[in-house]
Amino acid sequence: MKKTGNSIRFLLNDSLTEIDFTQNPGLKPTTTVLNYLRSMPFYKGVKEGCAEGDCGACTVVIAEKSGDRLVYKSIDSCLVFLPMLHGKQLLTVEHLADGEALHPVQKAMVDQNGSQCGYCTPGIVMSLFGLSKNHRDPSMEVVKDALTGNLCRCTGYRPIVDAAHVCCKGEDHDKFSENKDEVSGKLDELCRDKTPLSIISHQQRYLKPLTLTDALAFRKEFPSAVIVSGATDVALRQTKKKEFLPEMLDISDIAELKYFKEDNHTYSIGSGLHIEDLRHHADGKLPAMKHMLDIFGSLQIRNLATIGGNIGSASPIGDTLPLLIAYKASIKLQSHKNERFSSIEDFITGYRSIDLFPDELITEVQIPIPAIGRIIKSYKVSRRKDLDISTVSGGFSLLTENGTIKEIILAFGGMAAQPIRAFKTENFLTGKPWTEAVIVEAMEILFKEFKPWSDARAEVGYRNLVARNLLLKFYEESKGQVL
Amino acid sequence: MKSNLKHDSAIRHVSGQSVYVNDLQLSPMQLIGRVVYSPLAHARIKSIDYTEALNLKGVETILTFQDIPGANQMGPVVHDEPCLAEYEVFFVGQAIALIAAENEEVAVEAERLIRFDFEELDATLTLKDAIKKNLLIAPQRSIANGDADEALKNAPFSFEGELETGAQEHWYLETQSALAIPGEGREMLIHASSQNPAETQAIVAEVLGVSKNEIDVEVKRMGGAFGGKETQANHVAAWAALLANATRKPVLIHLFRDDDQKITGKRHRFLSKYSIGFNEIGKILAYKVELNSDAGSSTDLSMAILERALFHAENAYFIPDISIIGRAYKTNLPSNTAFRGFGGPQGMAVIENAIDRIARFLKKDAAEVRNLNFYGLESENQTPYGKLVEHNRLYVLFDRLTACSDYFTRRKEIDHFNNENKYRKRGIAMTPVKFGISFTTAFLNQAGALVNIYKDGTIQVNHGGTEMGQGLHAKMLGVAATEMGISPEFIKISATNTSKVPNTSATAASSGSDLNGMAIKNAIAVLKNRLKKIAMDLLEKKGLQDVESCDIEFAENQVFDLLRPEVKIPFPELINSAYLSQVSLSATGYYKTPGIYYDKEAGKGNPFYYFAYGMAVSEVEADVLTGEYKLLRTDILHDVGDSLNEDIDIGQIEGGFIQGVGWCTTEEIKWDNKGRLLTHSPDTYKIPTVNDIPHTLNVDLLRDYPNEGTIRKSKAVGEPPLMLAFSVWLAIKDAISAVGGHRVEPLFSLPATAEVVLTSIEEIKTKLKGLNND
Repeated sequence: MKKTGNSIRFLLNDSLTEIDFTQNPGLKPTTTVLNYLRSMPFYKGVKEGCAEGDCGACTVVIAEKSGDRLVYKSIDSCLVFLPMLHGKQLLTVEHLADGEALHPVQKAMVDQNGSQCGYCTPGIVMSLFGLSKNHRDPSMEVVKDALTGNLCRCTGYRPIVDAAHVCCKGEDHDKFSENKDEVSGKLDELCRDKTPLSIISHQQRYLKPLTLTDALAFRKEFPSAVIVSGATDVALRQTKKKEFLPEMLDISDIAELKYFKEDNHTYSIGSGLHIEDLRHHADGKLPAMKHMLDIFGSLQIRNLATIGGNIGSASPIGDTLPLLIAYKASIKLQSHKNERFSSIEDFITGYRSIDLFPDELITEVQIPIPAIGRIIKSYKVSRRKDLDISTVSGGFSLLTENGTIKEIILAFGGMAAQPIRAFKTENFLTGKPWTEAVIVEAMEILFKEFKPWSDARAEVGYRNLVARNLLLKFYEESKGQVL
Repeated sequence: MKSNLKHDSAIRHVSGQSVYVNDLQLSPMQLIGRVVYSPLAHARIKSIDYTEALNLKGVETILTFQDIPGANQMGPVVHDEPCLAEYEVFFVGQAIALIAAENEEVAVEAERLIRFDFEELDATLTLKDAIKKNLLIAPQRSIANGDADEALKNAPFSFEGELETGAQEHWYLETQSALAIPGEGREMLIHASSQNPAETQAIVAEVLGVSKNEIDVEVKRMGGAFGGKETQANHVAAWAALLANATRKPVLIHLFRDDDQKITGKRHRFLSKYSIGFNEIGKILAYKVELNSDAGSSTDLSMAILERALFHAENAYFIPDISIIGRAYKTNLPSNTAFRGFGGPQGMAVIENAIDRIARFLKKDAAEVRNLNFYGLESENQTPYGKLVEHNRLYVLFDRLTACSDYFTRRKEIDHFNNENKYRKRGIAMTPVKFGISFTTAFLNQAGALVNIYKDGTIQVNHGGTEMGQGLHAKMLGVAATEMGISPEFIKISATNTSKVPNTSATAASSGSDLNGMAIKNAIAVLKNRLKKIAMDLLEKKGLQDVESCDIEFAENQVFDLLRPEVKIPFPELINSAYLSQVSLSATGYYKTPGIYYDKEAGKGNPFYYFAYGMAVSEVEADVLTGEYKLLRTDILHDVGDSLNEDIDIGQIEGGFIQGVGWCTTEEIKWDNKGRLLTHSPDTYKIPTVNDIPHTLNVDLLRDYPNEGTIRKSKAVGEPPLMLAFSVWLAIKDAISAVGGHRVEPLFSLPATAEVVLTSIEEIKTKLKGLNND
């Protein structure tokens, strides 16, 4: 396999930038985009508020090619390793204004009094810029969704929401729309070469294949490399735990793994599909998935995170996992020579552990298209509705026949060391009528079925109550839909 | 002239050009400072070995308390807080050692190489435990009027209760930071993110063992503060100064978010007990309350905060017989500190919850019970500490707000909704705020300003207030422009600097505009007096005869005779002429708030210059099955006198309100049983996002009610709106209560997390079963 050297190439605003890590003592392969920008005197607009993707002060916008289109995505720069910029354009707050003239987004923020202390402001401006590039005259829901990932402690947000509506009115006309073709051309040029990156510098090996074949070859050669697919979880090991990451296999930019396909029976989802893209595909097709992804992290996180990454990290509180169990999803695992399928339940073997061979990668998720009459719902209960980790989550599936429960799946997150099904409760319910009286009885079984823990998010008692009540909620919401 | 100037930094904020301490890289020699802190809540330090760490390449120095040249002390009021721990540590997060290194990675690595040997000791980690052990940090404080015990006995109805209000993390977006730059000899310049540069200067001087005139502290702006940088910003400044002094190189400390949350103090949590007596219509006759606060490991501002809790224990209500006792307890947690409201919210929460109980008990509407108990306009208008409630705005606010929010109609609609829905319940509440404005420590009510006019006619205004986002500089710019008659573009508000205006008080107690506005006005008055003589000469040279000094007017960048305005002198010409005539173009201004005093022993006095008022109505909807809720609508009407800047005031009201909503709802702070903070990052500590604000939010100012005796008849606005969030808190309680048809008093505390709500609902359901079985 041909490998390139130690350099990455991207556009920093308008400038073609090449970083050769071996020539840069201050920059290592896993240096975050945030720290890279802040290491330079004229790019200190971007701020660190938390270094974990929970505040958005470090929001920047990435422009990249998706087919023929130039797409703009707001992301948390504290979670992005430098090589993830390869072949893209990085846009910073310093670059928005056109000389002395503020960008419409910036002007709206000034006019609507959207800044007070100003520390969150550059991040908010970049989120609004991303919004203005993707939506004109957006609904309140879209505006708030674009801002959920940006914490502001001063304003109470109302003026920022107003600014969003003002700056997204009418036609999109700014220097970026004018220079679109030029940037597009430059990015095509940068992306033409699909040679994988193999960076060895600062005692780190950072592998960035751009095709699946190369990825599988790297995987075989470097089985201990940490797999990165979006980095929203992996990056925290460095930013929060100050862990040194010696070997990385970054599969975030493999175009072949970013798809959503359907045939008569199955939705097939490429493991590299970003959560935000999956959210759009799920709209109208997988409503329970759409519902869950609406409150998955923030837009900045969803623009980075992938479905494969969410599955692979196998967190007990991973948002999609209980639901994938309810969907009876299966996972496609590929190595350089083989492929196999595993049910999601078999695949997750314990606390953050998965049944993945050292030469395999998760390449696809298959969700059987739910049969007519099957009711599938998702629930996420958290301290705060958005940008929070669930205290308890649920993915429930029900199939009835003449009012009798033929099959029920009750999968929970947050109740054990891994996503878990309430088998006792399911067994009790199966074959019984779908009535409130039966549900009330089942709730008492469910109440005692798990032994969760108390932590920063909630006490055991609350978790058990919520798990129990979610069954009633499922019953209430399913009434009228049951065959 | 009504000023609606934008925030003076707005354009730089949005273009990423506004500079914060952590953005300063002033020298290639600049080092990174790191604080090494205690992992244990209480322990004896048997040994520290940092030899290996010191040998690490890139480490410049490591300091412990033995290396402090001055006093090992950084307590702002009581000297009970060491800068670096000596032989014992008293909380998780207490600084023990300081590292200066080339970069952060080296500093982190060095920290890992330091070996500590501790002997763990017993720790007090809960307020209940501290109360049981009677660990008072200072003697109790009390305020009383009449005979509360006797009145309680005689009241037709009475009950007792207890309320826990939780701590709150400031969560300023910019964590604590300071850059210390050593100068010649003993000089040191500190770029601080501090609400109180003068005190930062004092503490730095103290730990370095030098006089204050060697230390300059400059504060350009803060990325949020909210009280969290009133005293505890001194700490990072002192640490950075020690490292800079030891290495003779600039040292920057910018706390990592988790470290900031672990090391610094929070809003004091309170455990309060009360008895309240009332009659059949809901008139409160007697109130006895004990406000117990968790001071943490040292005094900091705990006693002033406790005092303000006492002053606000009755909020907006006249209570004839009242006894208020406050106690602050010592625990093995970081020293709790100032936070917007400064104890006021903790005091008010108790009475607001108690009134809510009275209303439920009497099956009356809570807003009506509140209205019935408001301070009177002519009588029933004396506070427990003897100050009269004058210029009472409670009734006008109540009438207007209940009307514009449609409170009484919605109350009925909500009852209807609740009858129709089993698993969703709505609640509504109206709550008032009456907040005393002034530092209750009387001597702090003073401020200074320095106004310089340069030869080109431009002006630099320096004042003692600091900019933390609240728009103080924009307001002061408005004041200076109006007073001087000059357009704002010719005036610049400088960074706050101890060498420009000395001995200032903290920008706190909502007093920034009141105090500094007056000081600027006074400085400008001095300059105008000097300039009038020059103006008279110039006008006479231009042919006007017998110009009187009192007729000279400064307006629209010109100066002229009010009686003969056709002849005008441009301001720059006036200034040039003044300079050539050897007139000083620089003046200081000074202001002290008149008539503030308080006798702590007697619990009587006049601790406030005036009261600011506000009122809010909020409606929520709760999910009975999960305890989650959403905010449907809030209406706020707030009193700022004649606003100095309406946009900025509305920003303060909305921002303060939402910050209060956070405290009342999702912002729960938890420690484990070893005193380690569990909620030490935004992963687990949840401040409101854009989706947590009410779906409908109507905020308006009470117009045409000027406040006599203050700068341009305005009122302070920083803190009072935070407490409007009680409307949300009690609306949630109202929704819970609806589960039991308002027959059962819900268990309740603050914050009312979904967990609290669901637990309370479950308890109501159990009690209802009991009621139904009886």
